[in-house]
Amino acid sequence: MGLSIVSGGLAYFIPAAYTAVQATGQVVEIASPSPSGLLFSPTSSPSSPQQVGAFTVLLLGSDDDSKFSSDHVLTQSMILVRVMPATKTVVMLSIPRDLWLPLSTGGMGKIDGAYSYGRAGAAIATVQENFGVHINDYIWVGLLGLIRVIDAIGGIDIVTSNPVLDDYYPLDINTNSPYGYSRIAVLAGPQHLDGTHALQYVRSRHNDLQSDFGRSRRQQQVLLAIRQKAKQLSPEDIPALAQAIGGEIKTSIPLSRVAALLPLASSFDNPDAIRTIVLPSPYTHGGAPDGSLYPNWGYILPLVHQYFP
Amino acid sequence: MISRFLLGAFLAALMLVTGISTYLYLGGRQSHVSAAPLNPTLQTPSPRAFTLPGTLFLVQDGAIYSLSAGRFHQVTTAGGWMQPSLTVDGNLLVVRKSSFYSDIFELNRFGKRLKQLTFNAAPPRSYDTGNNHWAFYPRMASDGKTVFLSYDKPKGGYEVDMSIWSMPLNGGLRQGTDWTYSQGYTGGDMQPVPVKGGIIYTKYLRANDGSIISQIWFVNRPYPYTLYAGRALTKPDQDCREPSISPDGRSIAMICTYGKQISNLVVAPFNGSSIGAMKTVISNQMVAQPTWAPDGSGIAYLAPGLADAPFQLWFLPRNAYAPPPPGPSPSPSPIGGGPQSSPAGSPSPTPPPPVVVVKPIQITTYQGFDAASTLAWAT
Repeated sequence: MGLSIVSGGLAYFIPAAYTAVQATGQVVEIASPSPSGLLFSPTSSPSSPQQVGAFTVLLLGSDDDSKFSSDHVLTQSMILVRVMPATKTVVMLSIPRDLWLPLSTGGMGKIDGAYSYGRAGAAIATVQENFGVHINDYIWVGLLGLIRVIDAIGGIDIVTSNPVLDDYYPLDINTNSPYGYSRIAVLAGPQHLDGTHALQYVRSRHNDLQSDFGRSRRQQQVLLAIRQKAKQLSPEDIPALAQAIGGEIKTSIPLSRVAALLPLASSFDNPDAIRTIVLPSPYTHGGAPDGSLYPNWGYILPLVHQYFP
Repeated sequence: MISRFLLGAFLAALMLVTGISTYLYLGGRQSHVSAAPLNPTLQTPSPRAFTLPGTLFLVQDGAIYSLSAGRFHQVTTAGGWMQPSLTVDGNLLVVRKSSFYSDIFELNRFGKRLKQLTFNAAPPRSYDTGNNHWAFYPRMASDGKTVFLSYDKPKGGYEVDMSIWSMPLNGGLRQGTDWTYSQGYTGGDMQPVPVKGGIIYTKYLRANDGSIISQIWFVNRPYPYTLYAGRALTKPDQDCREPSISPDGRSIAMICTYGKQISNLVVAPFNGSSIGAMKTVISNQMVAQPTWAPDGSGIAYLAPGLADAPFQLWFLPRNAYAPPPPGPSPSPSPIGGGPQSSPAGSPSPTPPPPVVVVKPIQITTYQGFDAASTLAWAT
């Protein structure tokens, strides 16, 4: 009897476990030595009681549409997330994708190219070397992955800050003509968004004077809404979730830690304990090659060291 | 041998049944977060639910529904219909949104198409997506002849911002008037509400830190080329939007986020062109589209339901934001009393009436309504 119960349970969870094992615990090759020493330690060295158990994750989002080779995609979104379980606080710092700086793979370039040249390891090393932070893990998600994640959790409830209108939104997912355009109108205010419309909200930048900075703010909003919705998930949802996501997400976080992090995510209840940061002027300024941005390290590094010790 | 065979077969069957039962049991324990909303006509509000007065029109998944006497009726098929409002004749002004453009239609209460007011599709054989237009949030003025709306003209290049326009009900946008000048690259001006002597609307503006905030504005005549014409009724850091005027015209309801991922329901006195002290009446829900009952009995709105189901219909009774005045206070006693008198000589003070906390009522449970779409409430 016990054996058959276990068998039924295994039959339920094994497909999810297989998908999860494939997506999690990704081995990362670091393109250059990290100034911070050992990478991917389970937790960073606690420097204060508030930092006990704290860890930093680099979230990477790519336009992995059919315009690009699947092996060479840029990271349109790079967000450093510092989680401090002791104080139940979270800090999210969006790194401008157009930041012009030394890449860990050599030479100067936009930071969004690091992943293209050297996968997650290069992206992590580039951030670590330039920002002086220690990154414990990374999570990479593509366009389709974001849609599927949000759809798999039944959509998100969000207060969109303003109408996002775009006459030339890329029509490059599930299409034979990836260079086409569509029009989008994501109206403002509290609403329920499915994956497709949430992607439109975070991806559009043409009608935003702050371009990538405005988009970064919206990405942070959606991440918080996903976290809020994920609090309702139960372990029995994992198979359906894993099936929906199917290979559209990669992470260095091992499966054993993913299970431990799920209850942690649900314990962060205070919205005031979540700080979101973007880096417009004076942290960055234009004039760099290819329309990119020069970092003003004199402003950036003190801010980073304050929140990512 | 036979008994052993039967025993083995029985145990095998038992294992099979137990294994399948375990599988099904685990499947049944899913959270249902991804369950699709129910069609409103398949589940009327529960018998215990509060029955709203009049007829309320709301939108789910591109179809318009009416709620009357506790029952839902489907007004249109699912086809991009949204943002209903009422004409003075009791018909509906609605938006039909497609992938590239949206148009305004007049329908009767049963969904029969009476008139198409705008034609926003790009000309045939036009390959520039920018040649299409959006029209949203139609509202009829009290004269019964003028329709206000948000319209994305003028625009150029990558800039697409809505302005408030008026147009004759029996004409077209060619005879329209541009009332406002939106700030570029913000999304513009939205959700006009005609009031006596002008309109109020939601204006999106860029704050000092670069983020975009919303304000309720009042304007009493067209100012098509001036960004700051008219008057702001709320402060930038209050981040208020989605205004709704009470049937007597003396109160305004709106939602304000104060920069957070929450939207408070706020009410304030309104004298026709400015508002009085703002009072937050709901602060723990993501409130959308507050709409006054035509009989003044309360405010309907959309907000996630219990356990964060998609946006449901809620109703806040009037007593929650306008409690009845207290009863007459006891007249002073002519003998003794007063603060200096001894306790023994004073009459026992009348205890204050117990404070009755009026809570919002959740009307629906699993429907999932379009919270970016206005509600229309007819008598």
